[in-house]
Amino acid sequence: MTRLRLLLLAGGASLLAPQVAAAAPCNFTDPMVVAQVGDTQNNLMKRLGRALRDNDAKPLVLVWRTSGSCTNINQIYQQTPIAAATVMSYVPSVAEDAGWTPSSPVLTCELPAAKVPDISNSALFNSACPGGDAPPANVRLAQGPVQAYVLAVPEASPETYITYEEAYFVFGFGAAGMIMPWIDEAQVFIRTITKSTQLAWAANISVPASQWRGVPNEGSPMVVSALKTTPTPAKAIGILGAEVYDAERASLNILAFRALGQYAAYYPDSTSTATDKQNVRDGHYTVWSPTVWMETVTGTTPLSPDARYVIDLITNKSVTPRQDFDVEQIIAAVGLIPDCAMTVTRSFEGGLLSPYAAAESCVCHYESLVSDEDSTCQTCTDTCASGVCRNGFCEVQ
Amino acid sequence: MKTLFLGLALVFAAACGDDGNAASIDAPPGNPDAGTDGASGPDASCFENPTTHTEIINACTDAQKIYATRPAPPLTLPDGGLPALPPP
Repeated sequence: MTRLRLLLLAGGASLLAPQVAAAAPCNFTDPMVVAQVGDTQNNLMKRLGRALRDNDAKPLVLVWRTSGSCTNINQIYQQTPIAAATVMSYVPSVAEDAGWTPSSPVLTCELPAAKVPDISNSALFNSACPGGDAPPANVRLAQGPVQAYVLAVPEASPETYITYEEAYFVFGFGAAGMIMPWIDEAQVFIRTITKSTQLAWAANISVPASQWRGVPNEGSPMVVSALKTTPTPAKAIGILGAEVYDAERASLNILAFRALGQYAAYYPDSTSTATDKQNVRDGHYTVWSPTVWMETVTGTTPLSPDARYVIDLITNKSVTPRQDFDVEQIIAAVGLIPDCAMTVTRSFEGGLLSPYAAAESCVCHYESLVSDEDSTCQTCTDTCASGVCRNGFCEVQ
Repeated sequence: MKTLFLGLALVFAAACGDDGNAASIDAPPGNPDAGTDGASGPDASCFENPTTHTEIINACTDAQKIYATRPAPPLTLPDGGLPALPPP
């Protein structure tokens, strides 16, 4: 998998255009798939990009950039290309860094020509975005892993929970809501109105995203930084994707959330220190959305079969040729929840929950990936007394 | 959309009469939840085989729970509902 890097600054070019960005054009020997995803999906792109690089059955180069979910929806619905020379991220090739890990920096390259993204992603129901409800006939939507959203506070904050009613006043009224200790709007760190994190919370606390009080931040890293550096940690609160919080557990605390009509507050995980997303999967933690993966099609035929291959992997469909890595392990590792591990569902952002069972459950496999607790799941090699043997576990169906 | 959000909030809030303090929530009959974590506040009832949204979010679980201890938000309406949002 050798990458053919064309060095823009080679020879006299550097003299003629010394201000040109250092990134080389995106030009690879293996097929390239261009994706535009929400920043909550950045870790997924890194791990999946590495796996696809090393996927001997079908090596692909995943090239991506991040943008707000509503922007991404609009971009592919309108077939608006990403501009030429846009800087994209990618996992280094084997030749560039064979031992690269997701904790290492990604490399960047420039799109050689304007291009509609092969894959576009939103991290919430598309209907939550203006104009997102009705995709054009040439755009196919596939529902992927579930993304949870959290309210985080600095580690020095003593707060452990927030209720629906309190969140309504904190984010909808600001200081006038008089919810102690969150009465300083300069210490309420929110996102902008195209971002899934804000839209998902908006739907769950009945405060439309455009009416939020607080300091808007373009990206999750800014919210994290603000929470970590605030001079008044007791008053600070911010919204994050759960996977962003998971990477910052040493320096931030999560608030349990009590939804409307709920008797107690719960974390996304079974405890404040677990990583099993139990309460998302069974409905005790209500602030979550499906990720939605979009591609351009003609009828039922994908414009990019390679993009369909990637989307099928993310959405837990069988692919040909079969990949040589465990995609559920990747999804679990980045804090997402495969749809097949969910036992509840909903049909719109913040909507009521109802029981759910995937056609091919992966609850036992998922729990084996995220929990150290003794599982009640039976292991198997071929058959089960009840249920179906899949990935070494007797799944319910 | 604004009307929908507000409507949902008021309908749910009025229906539940929740004042932000778990001690006053009108819990339906159910089985005592053996999984409570000993946090402050009363033990709540829970549902063994949940089918509706309300039953799902209050289903019996071994997960850690935190019961609300702060008083109801000062701006809560007398009927337990929430006031309309101020203009942006």
